[in-house]
Amino acid sequence: MKFFDKEQQKIAFVLFVVGIISAGVLGLVAQLTEAPIAQAQRDALNKNLVQVLPEHANDAYLDAFELSMDGQESVRFYPAKDKRGNIIAYAWQQIAPDGYSGTIRILMGVRTSGEVVAIRVIDHRETPGLGDGITLNQPWLDSFQATSLSNTKWAVKKDGGVFDQFTGATITPRSVVKAVRNGLIMFAERQDVLRKTYREKQRNDENKKASDGGQS
Amino acid sequence: MNQLSTDTEVVKQEVFTNGFWYNNAIFAQLLGMCPLLGVTTSAENGFWMGLATLMVLVFSNLIVSVVRSYIPKEVRIPAYIIIIASLVTVVDLLMNAWMHDMYLVLGLFIPLIVVNCAILGRAEAFASKNSVSNSLVDALGMGLGFTFALLLLGGARELFGQGKLFGFEIFGADYPDVLMFILPPGAFIALGFILAGVNIVNKRLKQRKEAMALQMQQTENIAVNG
Repeated sequence: MKFFDKEQQKIAFVLFVVGIISAGVLGLVAQLTEAPIAQAQRDALNKNLVQVLPEHANDAYLDAFELSMDGQESVRFYPAKDKRGNIIAYAWQQIAPDGYSGTIRILMGVRTSGEVVAIRVIDHRETPGLGDGITLNQPWLDSFQATSLSNTKWAVKKDGGVFDQFTGATITPRSVVKAVRNGLIMFAERQDVLRKTYREKQRNDENKKASDGGQS
Repeated sequence: MNQLSTDTEVVKQEVFTNGFWYNNAIFAQLLGMCPLLGVTTSAENGFWMGLATLMVLVFSNLIVSVVRSYIPKEVRIPAYIIIIASLVTVVDLLMNAWMHDMYLVLGLFIPLIVVNCAILGRAEAFASKNSVSNSLVDALGMGLGFTFALLLLGGARELFGQGKLFGFEIFGADYPDVLMFILPPGAFIALGFILAGVNIVNKRLKQRKEAMALQMQQTENIAVNG
């Protein structure tokens, strides 16, 4: 029994070959670019980390660890340490779920005293020219410096707070302010857990290093 | 319409100017409107989006014209789509790896090059019927014409929207941002003015050509009569 005539067999074969070659090329390119892409993402994050953390002696990227939040996605914390090895600040990604169009991802750096070092917006879909002031308006971003839960009224000026809203865009800065405040509250509740988790990670790393050294 | 089989310099020149100007993807065919509206908020964005499209177009025309005699007519469209989609993914990966900042700005518009009908259009209308070298010239003309159009529109929107060009202040720091040019409606309006300008240029070119032809005819007549 014959399902396909010669012509159809040829057509199927040609498409098959085109597909195989394409898949092969894509696999190759994906493999070649895997390491550079990881590096580029790391560089991009590092560039932001440097801006939101105070001067530190460690590699915050390498020392990062995850902390699970009850009922929510876990958060990755990047600790900054002084020369003696004491943690002086943490940076993490805080998500503002209620932007004007979708979620806004914020990288915030906070001292162990609960004082904001700086914030940067790393991902958003706000309206160009209106809401995107949260990435471009440097004075506005700087207005978060040295704020803490106790010394600042956490709202935009329209709502009786201290942060400027933008002309034509109130929802965007409002949601950023709210998210940073939530981040500070979360941070205040979890400082001890953070320290403990970091010490555990350090111990694990050392054990791993020791066992690796023993094997080789 | 493009049955150009003689590989002469003149034909190549014609193919190029046709792609770059007379049959320009944006100015004449009004194709690829999606990246046009989405990313041309600045000259730099427009330029890189144009270059990414140019890369895909050059390689897709090249590959399609090389394999044109092996692909059965019935499945040529799916075969071209596979080729184009693969090329776009390659460009996407390369930009992610080595031009990460621009990749973050252009974002979704890079994968969307797949559905830019200007590319499949050239594969189907030109590369599948013409020699490899002519297809390459066609892709360069079309791609550079597309880049030029995006650059022009991005530049206009950046200049009038923010008073800058390639990030440099042109109108001084006091220039008030004109939001409309940055938002999508501004793209349509700016494009309308650019198209009007292109039509004026085309009319002038045509008039000059006609005048030249008339003059030549007259000199010929004088020569015959004299």
